[in-house]
Amino acid sequence: MLHVEKIKPLSKEFLESIGFYWHTDADQTSYVADELVLVSNDEVEAYYAAANELYDMFAEAGQYVIDNNLFHELNIPFNLVELIKNSWSNDVHWHLYGRFDFAGGVDGKPIKLIEFNADTPTSLYETAIIQWAMLKANGMDEAKQFNTVFEALKENFKRLVVLGGNPEDFAEYYEGWKILFSSIRGNIEDENTTRLLQTAANEAGFHTDFAYVDKVGFSGSEGIFKGDENFEYWFKLVPWENIAIEEGDLALLLDEIVREQKAIILNPAYTLLFQSKAFMKVLWDLFPNHPLLLETSFDPLKGKKQVEKRAFGREGANTIIYDSDMSVMAKTEGEYGNFKPIYQAYAELPRDSEGQSYQAGVFFAYEGCGLGFRRGGLIMENFSKFVGHRIKD
Amino acid sequence: MRYIRKISDYMIAGGIGVMVIVSMQGCDQKEGNKNALADAAKTQGALVIVDEIAPGEYKIAEEYPSSTTRVIVRKPDGSERILTQTEIDALVQEEAKKIDNNTSPLTNPNMSSGQMGLGGILLSSIAGAMIGSWIGGKLFNNPTYQNQRATNYSSPQAYSRSTTSFNKPMSTSSTSSTTKSSGFFGSSSGSSSSGSGTSSSSVPPSSGS
Repeated sequence: MLHVEKIKPLSKEFLESIGFYWHTDADQTSYVADELVLVSNDEVEAYYAAANELYDMFAEAGQYVIDNNLFHELNIPFNLVELIKNSWSNDVHWHLYGRFDFAGGVDGKPIKLIEFNADTPTSLYETAIIQWAMLKANGMDEAKQFNTVFEALKENFKRLVVLGGNPEDFAEYYEGWKILFSSIRGNIEDENTTRLLQTAANEAGFHTDFAYVDKVGFSGSEGIFKGDENFEYWFKLVPWENIAIEEGDLALLLDEIVREQKAIILNPAYTLLFQSKAFMKVLWDLFPNHPLLLETSFDPLKGKKQVEKRAFGREGANTIIYDSDMSVMAKTEGEYGNFKPIYQAYAELPRDSEGQSYQAGVFFAYEGCGLGFRRGGLIMENFSKFVGHRIKD
Repeated sequence: MRYIRKISDYMIAGGIGVMVIVSMQGCDQKEGNKNALADAAKTQGALVIVDEIAPGEYKIAEEYPSSTTRVIVRKPDGSERILTQTEIDALVQEEAKKIDNNTSPLTNPNMSSGQMGLGGILLSSIAGAMIGSWIGGKLFNNPTYQNQRATNYSSPQAYSRSTTSFNKPMSTSSTSSTTKSSGFFGSSSGSSSSGSGTSSSSVPPSSGS
């Protein structure tokens, strides 16, 4: 059983004063739990190591996908294939951050990869700031948390310039290039997540600015603009597959901009490969029976409890859990039914004394850098709660 | 123990961490309903975190460009105190007098920098030029001041981080007046459910995963 401890919650007034407006779910319950998951040092070390090992496996499998042209198998929209190849071929397209979702890792259960949100992961603000503030507000030792998310982001922004070199040398190589940060107008969660990243880039030493996506100007031959001002980097909190499917003209423009080396886009297009849940089938092919992986297939697994998901589903939508006789144990509806289904062996999530399930999220920015939990039923969806954590003494 | 750092807690969240402290202590002077993160790119001020390492002896732990200027002093017992603007002004005034009488270790190399008070430390910070801008050249062009500045930081890394985040090279402003395509994702995609008050059922839905 997983152990949680009650704490004094952060008030809504306080949360709003620091820009965290999405504190209440549509059913009027609090989105952030007033409890902390208790983890041990060894458990945290194992999460950290798992994220690092998996990222190396993702990089290797990514090369395999490119070499063998498996874009169709991964359900990648055809109009992004060249852009993905281009972004993969040059290190300047640096992966800023992503979030691994894990079953297990506490309560003696082995860590198993559920998926990797490599392009536009949620829960960044909660993991980097809110759970730290919870420790602070409750007079707890702030060092007792696996959370260097903000600092790791800052370091990784410096790597956009030094790449594989030492981030300390940033000032030596930086020549004033600018990053434009964008999210879709009208969603404060996306906007403030984007502004959090902008703050990290600012503190790293970059010139930055912000503009809603609809205000950003694109020219295939000249690059990316706010008004008439050109930006060398563009960070977009807009999923690549949405760009490909909903704004095909933009996908064409970005393809040309990257090909002509007029701008660098974050997260790079190749993160869509990692984001595709079908990628985990490729991982299983390359690393069969790896202890961190769950068996994944494009066809239903034989005689196993398993989960059906869609290649680009979100928030637990379009998910079905089957028992070993293929009877449905849980099911969610959604709008992602047109994407390709994949079948993944079921991993039991750890539970607390009230029977609620927990899924671990480990952020990755060049290395594992922070842990947070989602709490819910069998399938983590929109009404799942964010739960912070504390390392037991 | 790779990820648990023993450095300043503020490294955990940079300037946003400082915003959290300030708000927690209830000295937040946020104007009405303004989004606290909206000014991320406006950095006309500075946040300075000073450690009191022994009674009356201070070092700069961290500083960040920020939209407002704030100073936080951390006591040896870990408690934090946010200086008011009035306190900051008084400290700088006092140090300015010493500079005029040549008794400030900032400008007089014969004064022991062990005697550096909080005002002197604040003026040593990269942000010092913002905090005490009215003192001007008599301080900021002084060679003693230039030479011993770095020693008032808790570590060479803290000094180097500060200089990097404050002294950005001029940006390469190339502009263009050619026609550009814009207006993408302009009409909110997604279903419009009407959220109530401050609830997070925002429209359009978050696009994260």
